[in-house]
Amino acid sequence: MSDYEVSPLDSFHRALGAKMVPFGGWEMPVAYPSGTINEHLACRRDAVVFDVSHLGTVRVHGPDAFDLLQQAFTNDLAKVGPGRAQYTHLLDEADASVLDDIIVWWVRDDVFDVMPNASNTDAVRAAIGGIETTRDRAVLAVQGPRAKERLVGVFPEAAEVGRFRVQELMWRGVPCVVAGTGYTGEAGVEIAVPIAASADLWTALLDAGITPAGLGARDTLRLEAGLPLHGHELGAEITTLQAGLGWVVAWNKPMFRGRAALAAERERGVARVLRGIATEGRRPPRADCAVLLDGQPIGVTTSGNFSPVLEHGIALAFLSPSTAEGAVVTVDVRGSQLAGRVVPLPFVAKH
Amino acid sequence: MQVPQDLRYSSDHEWVALEGTRAKIGITDYAQDALGDVVYVQVPAVGAIVKAGDSFGEVESTKSVSDIYAPMSGTVVAINAALADSPELLNSDPYGAGWLCEIECTDPAEIGALLDALAYQGLIDG
Repeated sequence: MSDYEVSPLDSFHRALGAKMVPFGGWEMPVAYPSGTINEHLACRRDAVVFDVSHLGTVRVHGPDAFDLLQQAFTNDLAKVGPGRAQYTHLLDEADASVLDDIIVWWVRDDVFDVMPNASNTDAVRAAIGGIETTRDRAVLAVQGPRAKERLVGVFPEAAEVGRFRVQELMWRGVPCVVAGTGYTGEAGVEIAVPIAASADLWTALLDAGITPAGLGARDTLRLEAGLPLHGHELGAEITTLQAGLGWVVAWNKPMFRGRAALAAERERGVARVLRGIATEGRRPPRADCAVLLDGQPIGVTTSGNFSPVLEHGIALAFLSPSTAEGAVVTVDVRGSQLAGRVVPLPFVAKH
Repeated sequence: MQVPQDLRYSSDHEWVALEGTRAKIGITDYAQDALGDVVYVQVPAVGAIVKAGDSFGEVESTKSVSDIYAPMSGTVVAINAALADSPELLNSDPYGAGWLCEIECTDPAEIGALLDALAYQGLIDG
C-alpha cells in the first residue's frame, strides 16, 4: 500500500502510462509517455490539462469570512470583489517568512475558496479555519494559447471565464467552480469539479485534443514564467519582499499577520532579492548553486532547469540587491562554472 | 523495456558492445526511461584515460542529473558529437544513435564482470 494520497483520476493517469511521483504527500503524474518537453511545448503552442487535485481547497464562508481573510493575508481583497481571484501570501507573525502563497477564489458574496499548496494546507487552516473540501473535488488546470478554443466544445461557459475571474457553472448538471487562473504564464482556466464527474470531464478534455501534462512540465513552465514555487523561492526565512512580490502586500491595510516584521524589513531594506539568470548552453543550472560575480559569491540559485522554449539554462536566484541587470555572472554547477547573465523576469513573456 | 541480447550491462544501467578491444558504450532503455527527457550530456574528452567504475560523465534530464560510470578501463577514442545538439537521442534511440562514447580497452577481459542480458533483465525487474 502506498503512503500517499492519490487523485480521483489516478487510474486514468496510470492507464495513459504516466510516471507517478510523490509530491506534497500525494502521488501525482510527473510526465506522460510523450515526455516533459513535449508537454511543455504543447502548453506554449496549443493546450494542455494538468490534474492539480493535490492543491488544497479550504472553504471559508459566513459574515466574518472577509474580515478573517483580510487579517490573515497580505493582499487586499477590497481591491477585487465576488467573482474574482486574488494571489496573496500568509506570513509568519514573527519574521514575515512566507508560510504559503495562495490563490483566493472569491466564489460569491461571503464564500471564499482558499487554495494553498498541498503541503501547506494544514498550516493555512490553522490560520484561517474553514472547511477543507480538497477530497470532494478534482481540479483540472487547462492552459495554453488554444485552451479556451478547445474548451468551447466541452464546457463552453468555462471557456468564457476571463483572467482572474471566478464563476460557479454547471457542467452536465454538476456544479463546478471555474477560475481564470493558472501557473504557466499562459491563458487558461482551472476547474474544480466534483469527484463523481471528474473522470468524465478529464476524458472529454482529452477527447477535445487537449494534451495531458504532468508536474515536470508544470515546473519548467512556471520557471520560464518566473513564478515562485513554495519551498524554493518562498518559505522559511524568505519574505514577500525578498521574492520581489511587493505588489502582493497591501500596506494600506492597518493589520495583517506578519505586517510588523515585514514593515521592519522594508524599513531597513532587503538583504537579497530574487532575480533571473540566463545561462549559456543547454546544461541546466539547478537549485542551491552558488552564483559568483568577478569570482565573489553574490547569491544562490533556488530553482534551475533547461528552458524548452529558449533552449538554454535558466535559474531563479537570490542575489545581492545591488546586482545590476545584465551583470555577467557564473553559476557553480557541481564544480563546473556556467556563464550567465542577470536578466529581467519572466524569461518567457506571459500571456 | 528493451534489453538487446547481444550487449553486456553494468549495474549502473549502461550497455557495452565489445568488438575486439574496442567497447561502444551507452545508457540502457531502462535508464533513459527513468531519467525522463534528457537535455544535456557531458561525455569525456577523446584521449581521456578512464578506469572501470569511475564517474566519467553526466546525463542531465528535466528531472535530475545522473553520473555515468566507465564500464571498462581504457582510453576514450570516440565520442558521439551529435549529442551536443541532440541529447534527446538518448531517449529516442538509446542503443543506436544515442550511444555515448567508445573506449579502447586495456583489459577486454573486464567484460566478464558485466551482466548478460538475462541477468540485467533480472536486475531491472528487481
